[in-house]
Amino acid sequence: MTYTCASGVELLMDYLEGVLPPEVNTALEDHVGGCARCTAFVASYQATPRILRDATTAQLPAEIETSLQAFLRTHTTAFKKS
Amino acid sequence: MVVPDFDPDDNALAARAAAGDDSAFEAIVRRYQARVFRLACRLTSDTDAPDVLQETFLQVYRHLSSFRGESQFGTWLYRIATNAALMQRRGTKRRAAESLEEYLPRFDADGVHAATPAELQVASHVEERLDRQTLAARAREVIGRLPDHYRDAFVLRDLEEMSTADVAQALGLEPSAVRQRVHRARLMLRGYLSDLVGVKP
Repeated sequence: MTYTCASGVELLMDYLEGVLPPEVNTALEDHVGGCARCTAFVASYQATPRILRDATTAQLPAEIETSLQAFLRTHTTAFKKS
Repeated sequence: MVVPDFDPDDNALAARAAAGDDSAFEAIVRRYQARVFRLACRLTSDTDAPDVLQETFLQVYRHLSSFRGESQFGTWLYRIATNAALMQRRGTKRRAAESLEEYLPRFDADGVHAATPAELQVASHVEERLDRQTLAARAREVIGRLPDHYRDAFVLRDLEEMSTADVAQALGLEPSAVRQRVHRARLMLRGYLSDLVGVKP
């Protein structure tokens, strides 16, 4: 079995999750290992989740924490003493 | 991993809270509020996240007695937070999600990447090319543009780092469907990052 860049890309997630049959795994690694384009593509594909994770780490503002406690004080028996 | 970073003591804390110990519930809130808020921002918007936060802990409070301790408490709480976020979104009028197909990788007739290796790897270096604030704003915006079914799977799997099995359970999908959606989202977002620094994906 031989793969093109296009068919390799379609299998990338399953490859990284380790759910491909061994022979497909090997054929995919054979293609990517010898293809500078795929090597570059895989690196950026793998970097994408981490980049977006680091870029979306919203901090909880103090005033929203305060209103959460006020809300829970009204609707539950918790946060009665502040 | 962010999500499985749960304290094993959480299950004991949950049991105390379920038995009516308010200080245990307050400890749960303090321990999880920042993570729930971040999840809510990723699944809804900065505007809706405070409501999701409140609703999540109200639901946690009300359903503590049904937490059986068979799963990690944090996993259980995350499921409640996810549901609260999805419900909140359902009630909010959003502009229609856009297709981000234009950012998918391009191939020639032989199935070879149309872009060069240098162009293909540029998305990996977007942090060196853009300042943090710009990237944060663009990231928020593009995640909001993803069609919901891609967004939910991507946020839970890749941003919250839940396992594919846990995402499948939280969203009521087969693991293969989760993988397919996360994959499509990664492809589009990768292309978007590339486009941000002026390189066609």
